[in-house]
Amino acid sequence: MKSRRWALLFALALALSVIAAGCGGGDDEEGEGGGGTTAAAAEDVSGTISTVAVWTGAEAKAFQKVVDGFQEKYPNVTVKYKGAKDPGQVISTAVQGGNPPDVAALNSPGLMFDFVDQGALKPIDFAKSDIQANYTPDWVKNGTVNGKLYGVFFKGANKSTVWYNTHAFEDAGIEPPATWEDLIAAGNTLKNSGVPAYAFGAGEGWTLTDLFENLYLRIAGAEKYDQLAEHKIPWTDPSVKETLTEMTKIFKDSGNIAGGTSGALQMQFPDSVSQVFQPSDPKAAMVIEGDFVPGVVAGQTQAKPQTDYNVFKFPSVDGKGADDVVGGGDIVVMFKDNPAARALVKYLASPEAAEIWARQGGFSSPNKSLDTSVYPDEITRTTASALAQAETFRFDLSDLQPSEFGGDAMFTDLQDFFKTSDVDATAKKLEKDAAAAYK
Amino acid sequence: MAAAEVSQPAMRSDATFRNRIANAPVNFFLLLIGIAWLVPAAGLFVTSLLPPEVSNAEGWWNVFSNPSELTFDNYSQLFDNDQITHALFVTAQVTIGATVLPVLFAALAGYALAWIDFPGADLVFVAIVGLMVVPIQMALIPMFTLYNKANLYDTVPGLILFHTAFALPLGIFLLRNFFIGIPKDLMEAARIDGASEWRLFFKVVLPLGLPAIAALAIFQVLFVWNDFLIGFVLAQDNTPIAPTLAGQLRQFGSNLDVIAPASFFSAVIPLTVFALFQRYFVQGLLAGSVK
Amino acid sequence: MTSTSVRAEFPNPVGTPPAPRQRARIRALGLPASFLAPAAILLGIWLIYPMVATVVRAFFDDRGDKFVWFENFDRMFSDPIIHTAIKNNVIWILVAPIAVTAFGLLLAVLTERIVWASALKIVLFMPLAISLFAVGVIWRIMYREDTEQGAINASLKVVHDVFKDEGVLPDARPSSDAVSDRFVFTKQLSAGDTALLGLTAISPREVPEGSTQAVEPQSTSGAITGVVWRDFSPGGGTPGTVENGELGIPGVTINLLRGSNTIETATSENDGSFEFADISGSGYRVQVAPKTFAQPYGGVSWLGASLITPSIIIAFLWTSVGFAMVIIGAGLSAIPRDVLEAARTDGGSELQIFRRVTIPLLMPVLTVVFVTQMIGVLKIFDLIYAIAPGSVQNHATTLAFEMWKRSFSGQNNFGLGAAIAAFLMLLFLPFLIYQVRSQRRNL
Repeated sequence: MKSRRWALLFALALALSVIAAGCGGGDDEEGEGGGGTTAAAAEDVSGTISTVAVWTGAEAKAFQKVVDGFQEKYPNVTVKYKGAKDPGQVISTAVQGGNPPDVAALNSPGLMFDFVDQGALKPIDFAKSDIQANYTPDWVKNGTVNGKLYGVFFKGANKSTVWYNTHAFEDAGIEPPATWEDLIAAGNTLKNSGVPAYAFGAGEGWTLTDLFENLYLRIAGAEKYDQLAEHKIPWTDPSVKETLTEMTKIFKDSGNIAGGTSGALQMQFPDSVSQVFQPSDPKAAMVIEGDFVPGVVAGQTQAKPQTDYNVFKFPSVDGKGADDVVGGGDIVVMFKDNPAARALVKYLASPEAAEIWARQGGFSSPNKSLDTSVYPDEITRTTASALAQAETFRFDLSDLQPSEFGGDAMFTDLQDFFKTSDVDATAKKLEKDAAAAYK
Repeated sequence: MAAAEVSQPAMRSDATFRNRIANAPVNFFLLLIGIAWLVPAAGLFVTSLLPPEVSNAEGWWNVFSNPSELTFDNYSQLFDNDQITHALFVTAQVTIGATVLPVLFAALAGYALAWIDFPGADLVFVAIVGLMVVPIQMALIPMFTLYNKANLYDTVPGLILFHTAFALPLGIFLLRNFFIGIPKDLMEAARIDGASEWRLFFKVVLPLGLPAIAALAIFQVLFVWNDFLIGFVLAQDNTPIAPTLAGQLRQFGSNLDVIAPASFFSAVIPLTVFALFQRYFVQGLLAGSVK
Repeated sequence: MTSTSVRAEFPNPVGTPPAPRQRARIRALGLPASFLAPAAILLGIWLIYPMVATVVRAFFDDRGDKFVWFENFDRMFSDPIIHTAIKNNVIWILVAPIAVTAFGLLLAVLTERIVWASALKIVLFMPLAISLFAVGVIWRIMYREDTEQGAINASLKVVHDVFKDEGVLPDARPSSDAVSDRFVFTKQLSAGDTALLGLTAISPREVPEGSTQAVEPQSTSGAITGVVWRDFSPGGGTPGTVENGELGIPGVTINLLRGSNTIETATSENDGSFEFADISGSGYRVQVAPKTFAQPYGGVSWLGASLITPSIIIAFLWTSVGFAMVIIGAGLSAIPRDVLEAARTDGGSELQIFRRVTIPLLMPVLTVVFVTQMIGVLKIFDLIYAIAPGSVQNHATTLAFEMWKRSFSGQNNFGLGAAIAAFLMLLFLPFLIYQVRSQRRNL
């Protein structure tokens, strides 16, 4: 009996070491890194990798199809996906615990900077030529830290859009405005026609930072935007104050906001969308937010695109910035360097992967090589091409900040500003909080 | 005194006592209170039966004028939701483990502190009583680090052990105080029959201690099943039901159509446990803590 | 109660000679040690070690590498958010335990007298069986400010509307300077004059049934005529003039003022026109009656910065009062009959008996409930996390919440989190001492 047990153990150990050797061997082959788009034999790449991203519910199902497409190409790789509302939190905890996922899609570059700082990310230069071929320079730059490429954008969001209730606009007899001044005037007309012009989900501070960023990019220009993002100029800079002052044109008019400023502060973003697009008696005519609005509309209301709602570009200010896009995106990064992870990163940088989700709807790709005809409707086609082709694209500023500021204090400060419209006090507080976070 | 409390609840107030205060207003007031108490949970239940477009647009009480809006879709989608079913499974495992273990360990320790004389017994007991106060916040950070090193992070045993440890102070307190109430003669009679301490424990003390043990068990079931913070911090893929619900918050969507039915469904187990065993619960708690 | 000494009462069963005193003691320790071992190990690792480890950790930086002395504590105490957290903790401690105990006592006493006590106890105890997170979700829904969405404000509105009527046009504003902010036509009128009362910010659905195209009022001798209408045309139109497509507002009360007195009223027709006949002289003004613009009930801002903590406390009461009531109720029924009878035969009102006899006898139970609540209240996390919207989180926060936020919500500052936890532990010390003291007394 005893000897048989030993024999079994020996055989097991032998088997395990063979398998281990097999896996180890694979690493050496892929070590060269990537010029060109030729992949190593797809069957050789194997293993199980874990991924984390912010997509849950219906979006998780959509992403799963993309993963399926990847697994078709690489049949020996298993990808485990986990969705989390706050992927930064989940991943930070995992990194702290010494057990990060292989690949993750972070919803802000600020997180990417943090992880690079901690030394948790591996560079993805092996995919550089692919990425440079498929994305505009602004998009590539956003994935670069200290000269090295760490991330590529898979899903994008165009935040320079304004969504409106077509019936409300008809009743008021106005056309979608192209300039900021026209927008304010339209807002007044809407108010007179008996419907508040704006709905804000101010309970979630990012709805307010998005407005700030769109205005700031147009008022101060791209260069200053970058400086502010890196905290090279303070938040008390006149350009910031000018932008805040423009915002008071909306915020001071509490009667023109659904729920008033106090009601809006308790409202979550999805509720603000429902307010605008509920079938009877809308509570507001416009919601100034990004191209993810239609997804919420579809999930929560009965409104139909173009018949009940439509979109126009965020207006220019003083004639500047008509086509500028402030946007967001989910940036694919790599925590563990192995062939399977590399393959997944390259795959997600390709128009092929983007197409799978684009066809399902609720998705915009910053990949300019993607044929926009695959988008299921006109509205998405418009917002997505604007996103991928924009000459001036800037990433959402709050997402570029250290999370203590851009994910927390900046929101709170603008929420207070929403209530008080006090430009000087807000600028000072923003500067104080930013300085504390950059320390 | 303690023994009398153990056997059965004291009799109700007599009739004359009742007549002294006018009954009708009391009944009415209490009826209002009862209804008011039910409203929030009833609201959740109705919300769980409404599709998201409706529950987001208007208050759930409007359903009484549009009963056709009610649907069981949310519930059927719930059971398709793998994360939720997995979480319920995890919760069941953790609850069972974190009920059986504390009862066993607390009974052992409680018995020792009640009936075995050893130097420092009183001191130990007093220290344990003091530990009842310690909040779990004190343990989260060190345990988080320790768990990651010991591979206990995000595991069911990890959660069970944490819950068990924190249940012990109260458990030992309850059971020791209960065991001390066992009549001395009973213990001596059993010992004279030649029983060792262990046999005594399992055959005599444990059965006698059933009320307090039941109380502790019920308390643990309620507490562990509904725990949020411990599962939130010390688990990731294997989170129990409450933190899993929090994780269902969608990035841009509302979530009532998932959270409402899931909350309601997950409340069924502890509610059932409570309903079935409420008598033991109060008895045991009182017998243990008040003398 | 004295405990029995095992060795004294019961000799070694195997029959070996009684061991010398020293050996007996060690063996005597071996038995309790084995009984206590599992508990001791768990308590040692999960409670005692972390207490020390947390305090130590508080003196290191966020990553844990650098020893930073009291920097974390310094940061903690200079942070205004932490100040709010401490303030909220104080509010919770002062309000919640006493409210729970008092309310529980009241209900326990009253429930004694009814037949369906068991059923009521189950109803009131039930919230404890629901996860605190779910409780938070329930109440978050109920606290919504919009009277069409939030149950509480909807009920309040029903009450409010019994006493006050909602105006027909709550949001309307004057369409031009011709009408003042108090809806008075600015021009002073004499007999034969006309008044144009243009209103805007009216939704087409708000215009009452039966309205028709507004008409330009005709000057009539010996009368003052006018029109009140929805002064808006698509694109804005020309405020102040009656245009095609603009509807009159019927059923509106118009006041005829002389000086500051209302001497007559009129009601507008379907086309918005109104007339005050038999007018002579001058010095008149017309005004749209203020009650037209009475605001609908706006609801209380339960989730706003000022009320958020009380709102969460109310939700907490919903979960805990049942517990208190059941415990106190059991304590009540444990009061021996004869004591109460004796007090009654001695003569004394129910209230006196309650105060002088019942309450003192209940003291132990009341204290247990009260102290348990105090301890529990300091630890609360789930309710705050679930109820407070992001915009007021910093107003609703407590030390327990901040500890989690700084450590685990992505900021990963374990040093600061440990400092907060250590400080929190300090707050628990009085209770620890109290528990220990009362236990020693009972020994």
